[in-house]
Amino acid sequence: MSPLGIERWQRASPHLDRVLDLPPTECDAYLMALLASDSEVAADVKALLAEHRLLSAEGFLDSPAAIHRPEPGLAGVTLGAYTLISRIGHGGMGSVWLAERSDGRFTGQAAVKLLNAALVGRAGEERFKREGTILARLTHPHIARLIDAGVSSTGQPYLVLEHIDGRHIDRYCDEQRLGIRDRIRLFLDVQAAVAHAHASLIVHRDLKPSNIVVTANGEVKLLDFGIAKLLEDGSGDRAVTLLTRDGDLAMTPKYAAPEQVTGGTITTATDVYALGVILFELLTGQHPTAADAKTPAEFVRTLTEREPLRLSTAAADGVRRELRGDLDTILAKALKTNPSERYASVAEFADDLRRFLNHQPIAARGDAFGYRTVKFVRRHHRVVGAAAMIAAVIVSLVTFYTVRLSTERDGARLEAARSAKVSELLLGLLTSIDPYRTPDPNDPTGQSPLDIAAQRIDKELRDEPELQVRMLTMLGRTYERMGLHAKALPLEERAFEIGRRRLGSDSIALAQSLNNLGVLYREKGEVAKAEPLIRESLAMRRRLLGSEDKDVAVTLIELARVLNDSGRGGESEPYIRESLAIRRKVLGPEHRETAVSESELGRLLMRRGDLAGAEPLLRDALAIDVKALGPNHPNTAAAQGNLAFFLMTTGDLAAAEPLLREALAVKRRVFGPQALEYAVTLNTLALAAEWNGRLSDAYTMFDECLRVARARLGDAHPRVQEYIVNLARVRILQGDGAETESSLRLVAAAREKRYPAVDWRIAQARSLLGAALMAQKRFTEAEPLMVAADRGLTPVPGVEARERVANRERLAALYHALRRPQPAAASR
Amino acid sequence: MSSTLSTLVASAEQGDRAAADTLFATLYDELHRMARRELGRRGAGVTLGATTLLHEAYLDISDREGAAFPDRNRFMGYAARVMRGLIIDYARRRQAQKRGGEFEITSISTDVAGPAADADELSRVSDALDSLEATDTRLARIVDFKFFCGFSFVEIASMMGVSERTVQRDWEKARIYLHSVLRNDALLT
Repeated sequence: MSPLGIERWQRASPHLDRVLDLPPTECDAYLMALLASDSEVAADVKALLAEHRLLSAEGFLDSPAAIHRPEPGLAGVTLGAYTLISRIGHGGMGSVWLAERSDGRFTGQAAVKLLNAALVGRAGEERFKREGTILARLTHPHIARLIDAGVSSTGQPYLVLEHIDGRHIDRYCDEQRLGIRDRIRLFLDVQAAVAHAHASLIVHRDLKPSNIVVTANGEVKLLDFGIAKLLEDGSGDRAVTLLTRDGDLAMTPKYAAPEQVTGGTITTATDVYALGVILFELLTGQHPTAADAKTPAEFVRTLTEREPLRLSTAAADGVRRELRGDLDTILAKALKTNPSERYASVAEFADDLRRFLNHQPIAARGDAFGYRTVKFVRRHHRVVGAAAMIAAVIVSLVTFYTVRLSTERDGARLEAARSAKVSELLLGLLTSIDPYRTPDPNDPTGQSPLDIAAQRIDKELRDEPELQVRMLTMLGRTYERMGLHAKALPLEERAFEIGRRRLGSDSIALAQSLNNLGVLYREKGEVAKAEPLIRESLAMRRRLLGSEDKDVAVTLIELARVLNDSGRGGESEPYIRESLAIRRKVLGPEHRETAVSESELGRLLMRRGDLAGAEPLLRDALAIDVKALGPNHPNTAAAQGNLAFFLMTTGDLAAAEPLLREALAVKRRVFGPQALEYAVTLNTLALAAEWNGRLSDAYTMFDECLRVARARLGDAHPRVQEYIVNLARVRILQGDGAETESSLRLVAAAREKRYPAVDWRIAQARSLLGAALMAQKRFTEAEPLMVAADRGLTPVPGVEARERVANRERLAALYHALRRPQPAAASR
Repeated sequence: MSSTLSTLVASAEQGDRAAADTLFATLYDELHRMARRELGRRGAGVTLGATTLLHEAYLDISDREGAAFPDRNRFMGYAARVMRGLIIDYARRRQAQKRGGEFEITSISTDVAGPAADADELSRVSDALDSLEATDTRLARIVDFKFFCGFSFVEIASMMGVSERTVQRDWEKARIYLHSVLRNDALLT
């Protein structure tokens, strides 16, 4: 038992409840009040809170108990001359392990960084080791040594670095409460290190506070020197520097110089710029140019278009005076957008800082300001808009990723992985982390960066069909995920056309294009066009990637969806099961793509009436989504919608509605109320209302769904027709059946053409059409329709079963009205 | 086993200790069997989600026993407690064998990393949990759900019929209790 004892715990417990909910400031007030009324309990509560702080710092019980697969037995593994001990971190490039020399010679410990093999690449191994040797020769008291760089026998690239224990320089300065002059002095040490490296022709390229560490005795150490260069492949420096920033462009490249961001040459001046930004931040706490940019795209734009702030302007009131004057000038010179206008070397930058400290006149002229803003000029001396710059970034990114073409299977996998990664990067760059937000239609440049990029691809990559196809499909997919199907289609069609013409019959790029185009056609409702493309993609992918590949799983699901949309859902089961098996094996049972397959299977089982089989799948899919994506992600909302529909089908309307409302709220927030995704969930909610008997609510909601879907898809789309049918059904229930006749006729005719004759949806349309005719007392016309419908409706729980029951009731009413006995077959 | 799980639950809830023990043992066997079957289906070296296992177990059992079986949420309360035992036993078994055991049950996705929990430490947590259970059953249940089974706050809230905020707060309280017990025990030994 805890030192408190049960009784005291129970007395403290309700207070603990209150206090854990309060913010820290109010917490103190509460405790003070409690102290006055019951000092013993107050002391106990305080002790418990202290316990809480302690356990939070320790991360007590933070990770769940059960044993999971640890990293493939790395502890004790030897890489080069070092043996790995334990993992100390996980950066974007790979994990970092504490290591010591295998022969026990040197008593210090090193840090071994395991790099993501995809970043280094096959051709890179040799160069990786060579560059590593060059970097290892860099020795300076303020530079963390690269001890070794190598590639293990299993192809795992690694770096062995001096292990430094210290705080990031910005935190250090704040914690030690260093003043302006002390910060500058510390910074001079940093500059000395960088200057030393420059003298050996090594550029850091990735200077940032988290790479500059200060040890307990106040020594500065620079980390990760030149690593960015190690990872480049010689085909172009630009994209890599952006990507090594935690391997993700979605991280804003805060310390990047304008030329880094737009694909210019990297020189020592790039490091000067980065140092300028770092110093600026150390002195003012703010970023010099883009402090308020919220997305990477915005950041790039402001970085290249705006002049940096004056140092003293950005500073807090207290220090403004200290910073005004020469320091303003020094920083301005370091932060010039045009590299040739900056300090020619870090040494000169440092010299001026030293002069400042000694109250001597500085060398930089005072004309840093007062010029009209010179827009950043590209290498080709053309002034271009931000959109074009972003387009340049995109093109160079994708080029980097796709330029290494390999026909080997492993290479193919790597390529596929990279393609997916680039797609994410593109989305991140253009639409700020959320891929579902559409770009601003009011962009002053008129054309979106994607449009410009598409044009460039067409023009400049004419001789590289594979590259063209990949990039066009990537862009097409980007548009598709942004909901801009109209823009996606021409790109995908063009990609397909080029691929078909120039890439032969077995190409990863062509397979991707086939898949994407097929999906687009299906979403448009043109299932007949979609199916052959998807099938071909599947066959090609199986041939090229083997049968246990996650991309094969993707196409399997798309095929299943195509079959379902064309009314042959029964045939889709093996494909869905196969995709699920692949995903469970390759991605694990808790991956979001596994959740997708589980959802599809769950929905299939539901349509078949196998509710017991469907439920665990739907629940599991939702659980995965909640865990992997959080409760506010649209995919989670979709999974909630599926589960809610399931609950409705089992009769648990009460549980379903709150789920639906939650899901609807998320969808509204992410997509807006004019989006198809929103209508899908609204439709389910409307169904719930209908089944609950709240017809006028249902009517309003179905009406809105129809409006939204019509606007996006046009009248001929199967989804629109589904909503027409729903709306009609409610109106029939409300007694207004007569007016629904013409629209139901159209739907019935369209469905007869689209689906096989036994499809229940045809029967549904006929049943309702019958009801519409009955409402006009046209019984003899209604009868054959309703009899036919009865044959086509089976008691699958859910919409179909209800329709069947309703149809039978209406048939009985019809025969009653005709004063005829019901034929035996109908009362089975 | 002549009594169904439903009757066991009913008796256990009325204070029948023997029924409670039998219930525990039966559920344990049930879950253990299901885990092995699932793995048989999927092959070795694969990890199994504890939450999925529990959902499937519920479906299986309630199918067999029909309407009399208590609802899912109550079932989950018992099952989670059993899951705790399963996981600790597995941890012990795994520790005994150098190479991986017959199966691994995991409650989190496979790409999260971190040190594996020690079987002894898990036992200590479990003992402390038992004492917490005596004072405040709900807190102990939350720990079973969250720490041993890996359910999220949202799921736990819905299973227990309380708000997510309540679950989070109770989780913190439970951690405080457990931590102080463990720390105190460590000082005494």
